[in-house]
Amino acid sequence: MAQDKLLKIHNLHKSYGDLEIFKGLTLSMDRGDRLVIIGPSGGGKSTLLRIVMGLEDIVGGDIYMDGKPYILRDGAKTKIDRKLQARVGMVFQHYTLFPHLDILRNLTLAPVKTRGMSRAEAEEKAMGLLTRFGLDAKAHAYPSQLSGGQKQRVAIARALMLDPDLLLFDEVTSALDPELVAEVEAVMMELAEAGMPMMIVTHDMHFARNIASRVVFAAGGVVVEDGPPEQVLDAPQVARTREFVERVFAKKR
Amino acid sequence: MMHFDPMVPFKYWDALLIGLWMSLRLTLICLALGIALGFLTSQARRSRFMPLRALATFYVELFRGTPVLIQLFWIFYCLPLLLGFEPGNFASAVVALTLYAGAITSETFRASLKSIPREQYDTCRALGITGMSLALWVVLPQALLRAIPTLLSNAVALFKESALISAVGMADLMFIGSSISNRTGRPVEMLTAIAVIYFAVAFPLTRIVGRVEARILRRLAV
Ligand SMILES: Nc1ncnc2c1ncn2[C@@H]1O[C@H](COP(=O)(O)OP(=O)(O)OP(=O)(O)O)[C@@H](O)[C@H]1O
Ligand SMILES: [Mg+2]
Repeated sequence: MAQDKLLKIHNLHKSYGDLEIFKGLTLSMDRGDRLVIIGPSGGGKSTLLRIVMGLEDIVGGDIYMDGKPYILRDGAKTKIDRKLQARVGMVFQHYTLFPHLDILRNLTLAPVKTRGMSRAEAEEKAMGLLTRFGLDAKAHAYPSQLSGGQKQRVAIARALMLDPDLLLFDEVTSALDPELVAEVEAVMMELAEAGMPMMIVTHDMHFARNIASRVVFAAGGVVVEDGPPEQVLDAPQVARTREFVERVFAKKR
Repeated sequence: MMHFDPMVPFKYWDALLIGLWMSLRLTLICLALGIALGFLTSQARRSRFMPLRALATFYVELFRGTPVLIQLFWIFYCLPLLLGFEPGNFASAVVALTLYAGAITSETFRASLKSIPREQYDTCRALGITGMSLALWVVLPQALLRAIPTLLSNAVALFKESALISAVGMADLMFIGSSISNRTGRPVEMLTAIAVIYFAVAFPLTRIVGRVEARILRRLAV
């Protein structure tokens, strides 16, 4: 259905033991959206992405994808629809490539072993992605032979091998040397221009402004402010957002 | 007093070689069987089935915590009683050293499994790699790779420990060397020669461990 949101998070509750991370967080996302999530350290940004990826149990609330129930709390258990989970991809801060496989096999492992794609087809697709990201010469290198920026671009290509409908990025440039950040951000901008729906956690406000269609400030377990980057980053409506944004920009200068 | 005659052992080189062959054969067989046993044991120790976990832990702690010599005697006397027939010295020695090798390698595998970062598992779940695919294509190869240097050290240890089987009458390098030394009354020359032979086999292996370790660490430094 055309009016269904790509992703709808409703009244999400999550705790680690006594620590309450989300207290009824509600957030939704259209197919054309690139959501940048900002918020204080330890506020649960990584946890939110991990929940959407289906890596975490939740305490309450529900998540829909295309109007279909994706993650629900059912009695004492968290129910995750594996078919919908397969449509989400995630890129982690520390790349986490498979160290025992070369770059080509890093890309082909999941499609060949779990999606039943033929090896030839997977390799052709992988080479296409590597060429697009300027990494085709590295197809037979091992992860340890690559720079951080190259590794992170491989990790993005690996996620794209499964044709996700939503791609999650958790501080993917935070572990990189400053001079390598741009090459990874360029790849993400390219994906943005190609219309890939993304949910991005970043501390880089400049990049956030460039790539976001919407910026979400989450703090205290709920969404505090949600709007276009010109609003949330430049003219926040809520005092709490203003405080946070001013502090972050002050640190930059 | 007799003077030291370094030429004595050379007169018996053929007998010593036969002994060395026995030591090497035993080490290789027990290493192969022990690695398989050790891997299975390391899995059993992670089992959700409590009795299996307890049994595996008991076995490992027992064989790591007691002298190998006593394990040997114990197997040599108990195995015939348990089986109801005499399995022969070679088979008993294989069983005893395999049980010892299995106990030490299971610890090696346990450590290498633990050293696989949590993020690898998260990444696999995000990519839909679960169950058998996860175990076979991601966990097992990384565990093996990380275990190789320690397994090589285990092999050197096993080779040296195998000298103990001479105590139960197996004609290995140690046994043949010491019987020659008894017969000729040349213990210093013969025992030195035996030590040199053990060292000549073990030393290159320990050197290789260092090299292999450096290579693997470089590969895994992601
Ligand atoms: N597995 C876990 N067990 C217990 N507590 C956890 C776990 N994972 C995260 N937490 C806690 O939950 C809170 C939110 O963590 P999260 O990593 O989501 O924050 P974040 O917003 O991503 O922070 P940062 O900006 O520092 O990355 C933190 O206080 C963290 O210590
Ligand atoms: Mg985080």
